[in-house]
Amino acid sequence: MRMWKRLALVVLTLLIGLHGAARAADGELTGRFLLVDTEGRTVTDEAYRGKIRLVVFGYTYCPDICPTILNTLSVVLDHLGQDRTKVATMFISVDPARDTPLHLKDYLAAFPGIIGLTGSEEQVAAAARNFKARYVRNPAEDGDPAHYSVDHTASIYIMDREGNFLARMPHASFPDRVAERVRSYLYPRKQEE
Amino acid sequence: MDRRGFIATLAALAVSPAALAAPRGTRGLIIHDSPKPVAALDIRDGEGKPAGLETLKGRAVLLNLWASWCMPCVAEMPALDRLKTSVAAKGIEVVALSLDRGGKLTVVNTYARLGIKSLDIRTDEARSAAEKLDAPALPVTLLIDREGREVARYVGAAEWEGPEAASLLDALAMGRRLTADMAPPQAKLTGPAP
Repeated sequence: MRMWKRLALVVLTLLIGLHGAARAADGELTGRFLLVDTEGRTVTDEAYRGKIRLVVFGYTYCPDICPTILNTLSVVLDHLGQDRTKVATMFISVDPARDTPLHLKDYLAAFPGIIGLTGSEEQVAAAARNFKARYVRNPAEDGDPAHYSVDHTASIYIMDREGNFLARMPHASFPDRVAERVRSYLYPRKQEE
Repeated sequence: MDRRGFIATLAALAVSPAALAAPRGTRGLIIHDSPKPVAALDIRDGEGKPAGLETLKGRAVLLNLWASWCMPCVAEMPALDRLKTSVAAKGIEVVALSLDRGGKLTVVNTYARLGIKSLDIRTDEARSAAEKLDAPALPVTLLIDREGREVARYVGAAEWEGPEAASLLDALAMGRRLTADMAPPQAKLTGPAP
């Protein structure tokens, strides 16, 4: 039964992906959001105006294995050196029920410079929709309703200083490549020369 | 690491731009068809001195990658701590390499909290171990033979103190071929959700 569910999810993902690609070509990926930061303040993407943004979706609950994406982003910031001040790096939770602002704050203490965002279920759903990110909640194998997992889009989004979409890179991209790409947006002329 | 091969794998995985992460991907013991070289890492000890795998030449190594923010990693540490002592006589070293950006301080605090007695402080000075060892998720434990080659890896937290692990570690120490029946089960982690 579980096999069929997984298969169905894979097929669904493929279909969504194809549609997503078509819609992304329409330029609908806006990257707008209204969320809550780790201090409990409501923030929108406007708060980061003037900065190139690096955005990932995820959640902190990982009872099994934990992705190293935030580690990767931290290394990207290392690579950027002084230029890191021109970049806003954001982790948007797709699990607002468990990722409260306070919990996110504790968790992100291990990743200085990464901004944690969460919100109500509706706020998170709207943000994900605007990024064309997807997430699906799965019940836990142990049957405990508190132990659900969340499959989610794992790309690294790069948005421009106004919050418009620039690029999407795979979650396991090499940090130096991501930094290189960010620099190409920070200094477009240098790249052309 | 073979960057091109890694990228090809990623490309194959990225079946669509909206490909979802696969947190329930490969878990457990992965035995390599042929031993692989282990990328050079800048591992430091508690005093900031180099403590890389080259200092363990001639011994087999369990190289565990962990971080304080990774709940299953932290849950696995006490078992690895006990294992370090129990497998030393077999000629196996247990090395727990922290990927924490907080470096030594984070490790000291976590070890104190968990009551870790035997594991040494080992930090990833260049902050590149996850990338160099191709570890997109933690915990992961590399099984390295006496010649310094990665013969297998375990993705996720393992039951390191059961009969399967014992036969696995014996084979690793003796340089015998590892087989699937030696795969330790995934550790059942207890504790509250964060």
